[in-house]
Amino acid sequence: MRWPRFSFAVVAVFLADTGAAANVQVKVVDHKGEPLQYAVIALNYSGASGKAGRPDRRAMDQIDKEFVPHVLVVEKGTPVYFPNKDDIRHHVYSFSKPKEFELPLYKGTPAKPVVFDKTGEVKLGCNIHDWMLGYIYVVDTPYFAVTDASGKAVVANVPAGTATVTLWHPRMNEKSEKTDRKLSLTVDQTASLNYQIKVRKEYRVRRAPRAGGRKY
Amino acid sequence: MFAARPVQAVESTSRPWSGSDLAGIQEDEMPLHFKSFRTRLLVLFLGLLAIVQIAAFLIVNTATTNSARRQIDSALVTTAESFRELLKERTGSLLVAARLLSGDFAFKKAYSTHEHETILSALNNHRHRIGADMMFLVGMDEVTIADTLHPDQHGNAFPYSDLITTAEENEYGEAATVQLVDGRPVQMVVVPLLTPTPDAWICVGFNIDNRMAQGLKEISNSEISFVARTNRGRWMSAASTLPEQDIPDLKTALERNVWQANASTIFSQSGEHYVSLVVPLEKSANQVLAVLQRSLDLALAPSRQLSLVLAGLFALGIFLSALAAIAIARRVTQPVLTLVKGAHRVRDGDFEHPVAINQQDELGELANSFNTMMTGLAERDRVRDLLGKVVSMEIADELLSKDIELGGEEREVTILFSDVRNFTKMCENRSPQEVLSILNAYLTRVSSVIESQGGVVDKFIGDAVMSLFGAPLSHADDASRALRTATGMCAALKALNREFREQGKPELSIGIGINTAVVVAGNMGSQTRLNYTVIGDGVNLASRLEGLTKYYGVPVVVSADTRSAAPEFLYRELDLVCVKGKTAPVTIYQPVVCDPGEESETIAEIEEHHLCLRFYRDRNWDAAIEGFTALAGKHPEDHLYQLYLKRLEQLRASPPPADWEGVFTFSEK
Ligand SMILES: [Cu+2]
Repeated sequence: MRWPRFSFAVVAVFLADTGAAANVQVKVVDHKGEPLQYAVIALNYSGASGKAGRPDRRAMDQIDKEFVPHVLVVEKGTPVYFPNKDDIRHHVYSFSKPKEFELPLYKGTPAKPVVFDKTGEVKLGCNIHDWMLGYIYVVDTPYFAVTDASGKAVVANVPAGTATVTLWHPRMNEKSEKTDRKLSLTVDQTASLNYQIKVRKEYRVRRAPRAGGRKY
Repeated sequence: MFAARPVQAVESTSRPWSGSDLAGIQEDEMPLHFKSFRTRLLVLFLGLLAIVQIAAFLIVNTATTNSARRQIDSALVTTAESFRELLKERTGSLLVAARLLSGDFAFKKAYSTHEHETILSALNNHRHRIGADMMFLVGMDEVTIADTLHPDQHGNAFPYSDLITTAEENEYGEAATVQLVDGRPVQMVVVPLLTPTPDAWICVGFNIDNRMAQGLKEISNSEISFVARTNRGRWMSAASTLPEQDIPDLKTALERNVWQANASTIFSQSGEHYVSLVVPLEKSANQVLAVLQRSLDLALAPSRQLSLVLAGLFALGIFLSALAAIAIARRVTQPVLTLVKGAHRVRDGDFEHPVAINQQDELGELANSFNTMMTGLAERDRVRDLLGKVVSMEIADELLSKDIELGGEEREVTILFSDVRNFTKMCENRSPQEVLSILNAYLTRVSSVIESQGGVVDKFIGDAVMSLFGAPLSHADDASRALRTATGMCAALKALNREFREQGKPELSIGIGINTAVVVAGNMGSQTRLNYTVIGDGVNLASRLEGLTKYYGVPVVVSADTRSAAPEFLYRELDLVCVKGKTAPVTIYQPVVCDPGEESETIAEIEEHHLCLRFYRDRNWDAAIEGFTALAGKHPEDHLYQLYLKRLEQLRASPPPADWEGVFTFSEK
């Protein structure tokens, strides 16, 4: 019942700017040149924040003891639901600065969403499943995208004009890595951006048996 | 007296072990040699035995030691393996305990407060839970967040960053090692604090202490010591199952640096030998070691027992061998000493006592040979004595010195014949015993004179004596010796006659004939019976000359050859004669002995006589008769002058044929 509504909301974002817009294509690789998934690209326009009104609700699912999606990008102020699709309970928590919260053991979807009103990285864990790891990245713009397994992403239908392009990845060092770029976009232009960034090593966390799939 | 001493010496050494007796013996070194032979035999025997025994002992000892060492070595290697396994297991359980904290939600919450006191007390709480000795919380930037050992220190760089580096390289961000903390070895593990990604490092440390060592000893059955190298390079013992007094020796052994990691070495601790295996506990430098040890002496205790038994057998063997060696030495030296005694007796001329050695071996044979030799020597001595009586000593020696064989050699010999005048007539009216007694007395004197001049009595022929000068031994002055003998015989006879006169025995007068000639000297006779003598014309002539003495009324007649061989004497020519059996005439002489002070008168008379002889041979009968008459007037007792006067009367009455040369021919003996 909630799943179709969530899909609709995504589509609505893209439809809003069709017409007088440009596109930005990005390709992100790591320092070894390997495509980098889960990189978040965001375009910030100075002055107007782009769109008015409250952002739509979003969801961070827990499926088969994993956060889905692994990285969720939301605009500042977005309420996020944490639907538990497993038949066991989860205990979702965050000790991250932008949003510290805890959803003690629960089944189904907690009634109240968690509103992310500060920008930045929020690491999600589950108290009873050490390996469960998810990220909610809070940005102050509606124009963003997440790279796929081939390290590519497209931010479509963005306004023409000058924008600051920011890049984030769960394992990059934001402090040392200067990745912000200025980008002037004209109507119907499709700009291409390529990034090569250093990423931290990822540590494995032992996962209880009977569960396959992803590392995290 | 001289013979007694060596015998005494031999007897004293024949007693075994009488070294003090030996010290007194200086003259005869033979016993000392035998003594040293016995000692040498003893030394040789015992030396060989000792070498064999010691070699056997060493081989057995080395073998048992090596075997014990090998056993301990392999046991230690096994122990080291299980020790490492134990350490690994312990590390595993330490990691598990640490991981519990890394996922502990309450601790994560405490951590998220970023309050130092809270975090520290949560750490201590967890430390008590798992029984750890220390805990550290370290940021990803390797800055210490909390330290249970030093509660007031935080914000400093974490001192054991190597540990973090190792953890960073691990896929789970975990590491375990042995780390020196404040100089003491600590088993340390590190795990990440997951929130849910690693946000800090949780380090948990467990002291390596005696309790741990004791626990490991119970499992591994070996002594275990944990040692760490201090900053100053010295070794310190952190924990050990060894007795307290062994620890300094262990440190010294480690400092000597003779060991190698994971290889066994012998350490000596408080006089006890330990086979030691050094196991480094860290990955890098050998700063922290576990030393696994087993006592070699303890392992060797059973073989020590064996060594003792061996040593006892060794001593027993030496003792028995010494007895055997002494017995053998005595068996050898005793008969030899007996033989030496026998040899001394022989040297001193005692052939009567054979050596008594009743052995069937070589020494027994030697004794038999020795006795045979002794018998032979005695036999020879007897033969020589007897021979010396039968023949002269010189001939006896000559006969004994070489093989007796028939045959002779030509040599110049002066032969002296003497004979008692009218002996047969004297024998009448006398008993044979009396005659023999007189004859023996005479012959003894005469023989003594002959021998005193180096002459040899060749044979007695009744009352006649034939003696030789120049055979078998020759002298440069053999003829002179014969002449001196003749003079000596006359003098001896004069003395004998004086004795006979006193005893009422008849006085004897003798005639002596001397000739010098080359004759054959040697052993003559048959193969079974022979005697040493000389033969030849010269011998016969000597006998003939003796026969002439009575005719000329002189005691001694010598040939011209003898005269020229002994020219230093004064001679009176007697005649030129042709004796029976000889064609060539011979000039014969009388040796003249002057009374002291009458030499010149005697010489003058002899010259007068010789002048008369020339008149005689020149047929000047009157001159010769006149001269001889004068001489006879002066010496009426001299038969020679009467003889010539009688012969001259006849010649003047019936002169001889023209070819007469003054040779007087004897037709019979
Ligand atoms: Cu869960």
